[in-house]
Amino acid sequence: MTRSNGPQAKRRFAVACGPLALLLTVAAFRHAAYPASQPTSWPVSFVDVAKQAGLVHPSIYGGMDRKRFITETNGSGVALFDFDDDGLLDALVLSGTRLAEGSREDVSWPPGEAPTNRLYRNHGGGAFADVSAGSGLDRLGWASSVCVGDYDNDGRLDVFLTYFGRNSLHRNRGGGRFEDVTDAAGVGGQGTRWGSGCSFIDYDRDGLADLFVANYLRFDLAAAPEPGQGANCLWKGLPVNCGPKGLPTDTNLLYRNRGDGTFEDVSEPSGVAGVTGRYSMTAAAADLDGDSWVDIYVACDSTASTFYRNDGDGTFSDRSVESGLAYNEFGTAQAGMGLAMADYDGDGLLDVLKTHFADDIPALYRSLGRGRFEELAGVAGLAVQNRHVEWGAGLPDLDNDGRADVFYVTGNVYPEVEAQMPEYPHRGPRIVFRNRDGTSFEDATGRTGPGASAAHSSRGAAFGDVDNDGDVDVLVMNMNEPPSLLRNDYSGPNGWIQVKLRGRRSNRAGLGATVVVTAAGRRQARPVLSQSSYYSHDDLRLHFGLGSERRAERIEVLWPSGHVDVLTDVEGGRVLTVEEGADR
Amino acid sequence: MRPGHRAFRAGLTAAVVAAGAGTLAGQSPPPSPPAPEVTTVLAEARVLIGRGKAAEAAAKVQALALPDDPNVALVLGVARYHADDPVRAIEVLTPAVPKLPEASVERREAVQVLGLALYVAGRIAEAIPFLEETGKWAADNLELAQVLGVAYLQTRQPEKARASLARTFDVPPESPAAHLLAAQLMIRVQRDDMAEAELKQGVAKDPTLPQAHYLMGQIAIFRARLDEGLAHTRREIELNPGNAMAYYQLGDALSRQQKWDEAVAALQRSLWINPFYSGPYILLGKAYLKKGDPATAEGMLRRAVQYDPNNRQAHFVLAQLLQQTGRTEEAREEFATAERLQDQEGR
Repeated sequence: MTRSNGPQAKRRFAVACGPLALLLTVAAFRHAAYPASQPTSWPVSFVDVAKQAGLVHPSIYGGMDRKRFITETNGSGVALFDFDDDGLLDALVLSGTRLAEGSREDVSWPPGEAPTNRLYRNHGGGAFADVSAGSGLDRLGWASSVCVGDYDNDGRLDVFLTYFGRNSLHRNRGGGRFEDVTDAAGVGGQGTRWGSGCSFIDYDRDGLADLFVANYLRFDLAAAPEPGQGANCLWKGLPVNCGPKGLPTDTNLLYRNRGDGTFEDVSEPSGVAGVTGRYSMTAAAADLDGDSWVDIYVACDSTASTFYRNDGDGTFSDRSVESGLAYNEFGTAQAGMGLAMADYDGDGLLDVLKTHFADDIPALYRSLGRGRFEELAGVAGLAVQNRHVEWGAGLPDLDNDGRADVFYVTGNVYPEVEAQMPEYPHRGPRIVFRNRDGTSFEDATGRTGPGASAAHSSRGAAFGDVDNDGDVDVLVMNMNEPPSLLRNDYSGPNGWIQVKLRGRRSNRAGLGATVVVTAAGRRQARPVLSQSSYYSHDDLRLHFGLGSERRAERIEVLWPSGHVDVLTDVEGGRVLTVEEGADR
Repeated sequence: MRPGHRAFRAGLTAAVVAAGAGTLAGQSPPPSPPAPEVTTVLAEARVLIGRGKAAEAAAKVQALALPDDPNVALVLGVARYHADDPVRAIEVLTPAVPKLPEASVERREAVQVLGLALYVAGRIAEAIPFLEETGKWAADNLELAQVLGVAYLQTRQPEKARASLARTFDVPPESPAAHLLAAQLMIRVQRDDMAEAELKQGVAKDPTLPQAHYLMGQIAIFRARLDEGLAHTRREIELNPGNAMAYYQLGDALSRQQKWDEAVAALQRSLWINPFYSGPYILLGKAYLKKGDPATAEGMLRRAVQYDPNNRQAHFVLAQLLQQTGRTEEAREEFATAERLQDQEGR
């Protein structure tokens, strides 16, 4: 997220002198683009069913109406994953805590009232049960993100959590119990760092999920200035919490899975730690350059976002700028927070969406192939929403028409600003853009039901078919509120198919694989991700709309092992499990 | 707005000196003059502040360990303010002000510096009473009027802001020009909603007000209201056909609509009026690239770099072009330059 004197300060009305000021002013404008055209039929409506489903516990995250420090502002992620392998998506909702009034110490919560992370088991029929207690995931602290994978290939999904504090690895032992194996595995790190994004990734193709961990910045709470007390503590002239500008950056980590339950820190030899000067946030791992080696993309706040290209020899190269994934179309750093990967233009290549701060718009990077991207958010029509701070994002096909739509949640990091500038509200809607034709989008926010238009200060969002009815629902983390569970009441006739992968040579969960579906004359690609959106984890079953068709003409699975499976004439309306090598 | 801080403080020094240049009528004597050795230290500190060594001056005064002496606190506060430490300046000046005699030079200086320190620290609403009090005896200080005007903007008091800024620019506060000037400042402090309202008032009073439609167009384009932005920009060109920036803005909006031929025409007109401005060359580079003419695009972008070698966008777009035309090594160099310039803009 950014923040005071961040890109939003120089974004457009940059304060400068002389002719350059004019240049900055006009050139920096280049975020806006087409207004929405005449609305068309849109059979998607979201209803928030969290309360009736039993997702009732609030995620506490810092002060309600005022944030003194940046640590209170970023919030945390959520996960939709089937931890008990019963075919129903379960929910993990992360939480932070709160500083005692006037203090820099955390609140001491009364017994039973601590705002721990919450694990909810999906019982079907729209009902969840809180199974947090004793799960091992019910930690108290400043949680950031969650990534999911099966690092021990035992068929049960494991969980890694990052914190402002100590990160933790939880091995799924079955029965709803996640054992904290952080120390034994050697992935706890040293000292207090501010863990941000993470992703399980088999970067060396040995069939074992390794682990990438991002760090946001170095932060000393005891020495941090109060709001307004420093050069980077103002936003539009108002005193606000300080940073990230002015705060020291940190480096990222890569752990290689030895296959015996332990990991080796290869951050230095892999080149991951060599990338410096970035405020790293959400991390996603997919093969973005089509060379069959899984790469890493990290949304970075106020600095260039990082594209780690997997060189195939155990090392990564920083190809951020050359790839076109670092900046916006004019080479300006943005406040990268959330990201999504899918193929919005139907060419079978993975594109990237990245979310940013208020007075800015998302970046939409269209893949040109071979690891090069062009940024087209303005041209694609995403500029019409530009008031909100943008967080968790996805490119789900909400109406099953075979085209990826845009969905992201919003919420300001400066709650106190709203009183003086109501045009920058603390709580914002969930923004929805309908994919018109594979090249441009129309704003459908006001036409996507009460669940989309309701205002919250949201952060993480996870996408998946929670009720197994053939459309994509969304779980959202709300700051100091219970989560939202946005049930998609899609009412159209379009067909769909979901693809679940089971790796054999590749890691068992199929993380890093790309699935390309051809149906109704369209191609669409989606990756299997350990983390995306904002600090969150989506349903591992990839959801594809089939338009008017009921069958997919072709399904191609590009496994991280390099193997490719091809299936033809596949019946839709179901979850298809593809085992690596299934086409043989 | 966080003002151009150092220049701002230099201006303040002049204002303070002016305010302290003579004995003021009705001034009460200070409660008790400092001891001679203290007076010497304070005088030395003033000299250090004047030489740009404010932090050293602050340390020297701090070492006196006389926190309750308002004269010592005054110089300490002034030193801290000039040392870019407004928060600690506020700490010492706030209790010192009421201890200093009404209408004394010292009191006035303390009030002024406290107001400015609060302003710089972003405590705008708290700064305003002190700045207003300063304005009573420094009515001719244009810089103060400008600061006060911006402070009113920040606290959403557009009427007062316009009045103060009108004084700065010597125009009547209800005139179309005052609305325009207030809007310009509102845009600078990123309050474009207020600016739009102000511009509409200005245009209602004078439909031919120069620059107003240009600015309304600028805001509309930023907010992705492209048709509205184009209409305003075209109206500006009708009123002022020699406005190179308006043609540039027109080309910008048209390029967002991917109307490349129209965009090129507008951008060329901008350059025919002012050929020394890099912005239109960058957009022309993009436009020609989109039109499938990389050679002309490269010429435009190289011209942009020539006129504005520190323009990050020019280097970045040029690098993209070179990359697309297979000149990988040259592209890498331009990307590196763009990245270096991005870094210089700072974290």
